[in-house]
Amino acid sequence: MEMSKMSKKRRIKVLIAKPGLDGHDRGAKVLTMGLREEGMEVVYTGLRQTPEMIAQATLKEKPDIVALSCLSGAHRHLFPAVVKELRNRGMSDIPVIGGGNIPKEDVPFLLEQGIAHVFEPGASVKDVANYIRNKFERSENP
Amino acid sequence: MSAMFDEKYLKRIEQRRKEWETGTLKRSLDRFGVTESPNKFYTPLDIREFDFLEKVGFPGEYPFTAGVYPCQVPGSGPVTGGYHIGGGGGLIRAGRYLGYGTAEDTRDYYQSEIIRGRPGGPNIAFDLPTQIGLDSDDPLAQGEVGKTGVAFDTLADFETIYEPFQGKNNLDKIASNWTINAPASVILAAYIALAEQRGIPLSALRGTLQNDILKEYVARGTYIFPPRQSLRMTRDIIVYCSQHMPLLNPISISGYHMREAGASSVQTLAFTLSNAIAYVQLGVDAGLDVDSFIHRFTFNTLSGSMEVLKEICVRRASRRMWAKIVRDRFGSKNPRSWLLREAGGFLQGAWTATSQRPLNNLTRAVIGGVAGALAGYIPSVEPPYDEPLGLGWSVEGQQLAEDAARIIQYEAKLTEVTDPLAGSYYIEALTDQIEKEAWDLIKKIDDMGGSVGAIENGYMQRAVAQSAYEYQKRLETGEEIVVGVNAFTGEHEIEVLPNRMVPYPYDPAKRAQAEERQIAKLAKIRKQRDNHQVKTILSQLQEAARDEKTNLMPLIIEAVKAYATIGEVCGTLKKVFGEYSGYGTI
Repeated sequence: MEMSKMSKKRRIKVLIAKPGLDGHDRGAKVLTMGLREEGMEVVYTGLRQTPEMIAQATLKEKPDIVALSCLSGAHRHLFPAVVKELRNRGMSDIPVIGGGNIPKEDVPFLLEQGIAHVFEPGASVKDVANYIRNKFERSENP
Repeated sequence: MSAMFDEKYLKRIEQRRKEWETGTLKRSLDRFGVTESPNKFYTPLDIREFDFLEKVGFPGEYPFTAGVYPCQVPGSGPVTGGYHIGGGGGLIRAGRYLGYGTAEDTRDYYQSEIIRGRPGGPNIAFDLPTQIGLDSDDPLAQGEVGKTGVAFDTLADFETIYEPFQGKNNLDKIASNWTINAPASVILAAYIALAEQRGIPLSALRGTLQNDILKEYVARGTYIFPPRQSLRMTRDIIVYCSQHMPLLNPISISGYHMREAGASSVQTLAFTLSNAIAYVQLGVDAGLDVDSFIHRFTFNTLSGSMEVLKEICVRRASRRMWAKIVRDRFGSKNPRSWLLREAGGFLQGAWTATSQRPLNNLTRAVIGGVAGALAGYIPSVEPPYDEPLGLGWSVEGQQLAEDAARIIQYEAKLTEVTDPLAGSYYIEALTDQIEKEAWDLIKKIDDMGGSVGAIENGYMQRAVAQSAYEYQKRLETGEEIVVGVNAFTGEHEIEVLPNRMVPYPYDPAKRAQAEERQIAKLAKIRKQRDNHQVKTILSQLQEAARDEKTNLMPLIIEAVKAYATIGEVCGTLKKVFGEYSGYGTI
C-alpha cells in the first residue's frame, strides 16, 4: 500500500445526538449532512437517547466531539447529565457542544456544567464546522 | 382545443409577447445591465387548456379548488370578542393550543381563559412523556414532565383538566382538541370514561384527535410502536368512532410537521395525501363503507412558507386532489366525504419565525394571514411574534395576533370574495403545476408500498432531511434571504423589543415543581386504585393485542376507567408490538 509523503489528515469525527424525548431533529439532520459535506465523519444517533446511551455510543464510535441538540426545554438537565456520563467513563477529554433553542440565559449555566460551547438559533453549519476545526486543527499540528 | 381561449387570440398574444420580450423588456434589461428579468409575467398562454368548470368550479362543490364550503361565516364577531377562530355563530370550536405542568395547573389556566370570555373547549398540549406513553415517574421522563404540555398519567388528570367545563360548557357543548398520536387510544378512552361519569352520551361528544402516527416517523418523533402495529391502533380508533362517536374527528392528518421539518411544498402535499390514503385504506380494509367514516377525517394545516402566493396554490391544489382521491380512488359517492377539512388559515409557516428581531414575525404572520384569507380560509395570524423566544406566547403577542386577524377580516375585508385569485394566469398555472408534481410523487410513494413502505425504507425521512439541508445551504450562501438573520444585520439596524407587561399565565414556579407534584399524585393513585383489577385488565389487553383483528378500544377504556396509567397501557402493548427505532435512517 502506498503511503502518502504528506502527513495524512485524519477526518474529524462527530457524534450528533438527541438526548431526551424531544423529537425536533431538523437541525440535527441538517448538521449531520452539512458536516459530512465539510469533510467530517458524522454519526447521528437518532431520537430518544438517554445520557447513558449517548455515552455508550461515544465509547463505541470514538468521536472527537459530541454534539447535543435539544429543543424541548430539558437541556438544563440533559446536557450536564451527558457530560457526567462521559466523565464517569473516563472520556472527559471529549468536548461536548450543544444547540437547539437554548435561551441565552441558560448558556452560562451550561458552560459552568462542562459544555464547551452552546450554539444559539441562527448559527450556521459553517459556524459549527469552523468551531470544530479550530478546536482540532491546533492539536493536529506537531 | 381550449375551452376558454380562442386559438387565434392566443396566437396574437404569443406574437405580442415576443415583441414585448425583444423590445420593451429588452431595452429595460439593457439599461439595468442584466440579461434576465428578475420578474416573471404570466398570460393566457400559460393556461391554454384552462377550463373553469373542470379546474375551479364553485365553492363547496367538486373539485373544491375555490373552497370546501359554499360560504364562510366569519370568526367570532366584533361584539362577542373571543378568539378569531373561524366558524362564526353556531359552530363549536376548540380554543387556543395550551397546556403545562400538572392537570391542576392547566385546569387553572383554562379557568382563567373562560373568565376572559374565551369560549371553546380545551385544545390540549401534552408533555413529551405523555405523548410517548410514559408515566411521569418513568426514569426516561425525568426533566420532561409538564414541559411541552400538561402531564397525563391517568383518568384522574382528565377529571381535573375538565373541571372548568361544566353546565353550559359541559362535554356535550364544547369541542376539544387533543394533540396526541401514539397513545391516542388512551386519551380517547379517558374522554369516554369522563363522559360516562357525567352521564353524557358518546354520540354527543365533539373533538379532534391528532392521531396521525405516520408523520411521527418522518417529522415529529413521538412514535412508540413500529408503523404497521401503530396503524392497527389507528384503525381501532377510526372503527370505534365510526360506530359510537359520530361527531368526533378521529384523525387530523398533518402536513404541518413535515413542512416545519423542512419538506418542500410538493413533498408536504404528496406525503400528507399518501398518509391520508393509508388511513382511508385502514377503514376500507376493516370493512367500513367509505362514506361512513371519511367525512370525519380532518387535516391539520399544510404549513407554508413566506412565498405565500405559491402556498395559496398548494392549498387550492390540495382540495382538488383530496376530492379526486376520495371520489375516484376510493369510490366515495357522498360529496360530504370529499371535503378537505383543514384548520389553519396562516400560510407563512411557523418555521419562518425568527428569534432575531422578533417583532418582524408579526409582519410575517400578517402576510400569512392575508394569504390565508385569499386562499379561502378564515384568516389566522399565527404564531404570536414571540414564538421563537421560547418564553411562551405573551398575552400581548396573542392580542396583536388576534387584532391582526380581525383587521384582515373586518377592515381589509379580504374574505368578502371567495377565491379572488381564481382565473389569475399565474395562480392557475402554478396550481396545476404543483398538483402534477404532487401526483407524480404520490405515485412514487405508491410504488414503494404506500406511506408505510416509504417510511419503512426511510425514503420519506431522507427526502425531508434533504430538502431541509438544501434550504440551509441556500440560507448560508445568501440565496435565501431572511431579514435580520442573514441579511440587513448591520450595526445601524435597530432591535425592537417590546416589554411583556401582562404576567405570563404559565407560572414558572409551578412549572418547575410540576414533575414532583405529578409523581406524588401518581403514587397516591397507584395505591388507592384496585391494583388487582388493573392487572387483570392489562393481561387481557396483552392477549387481545396479539389478535390483529380485535379492536382494542373496549379493553383500553376499561383499563383507563380502572385508573391504569398511560405507561402501563402502552407498556403492555410494547410487549406485543415492540418499539420503533429510527437509528441509521440518516
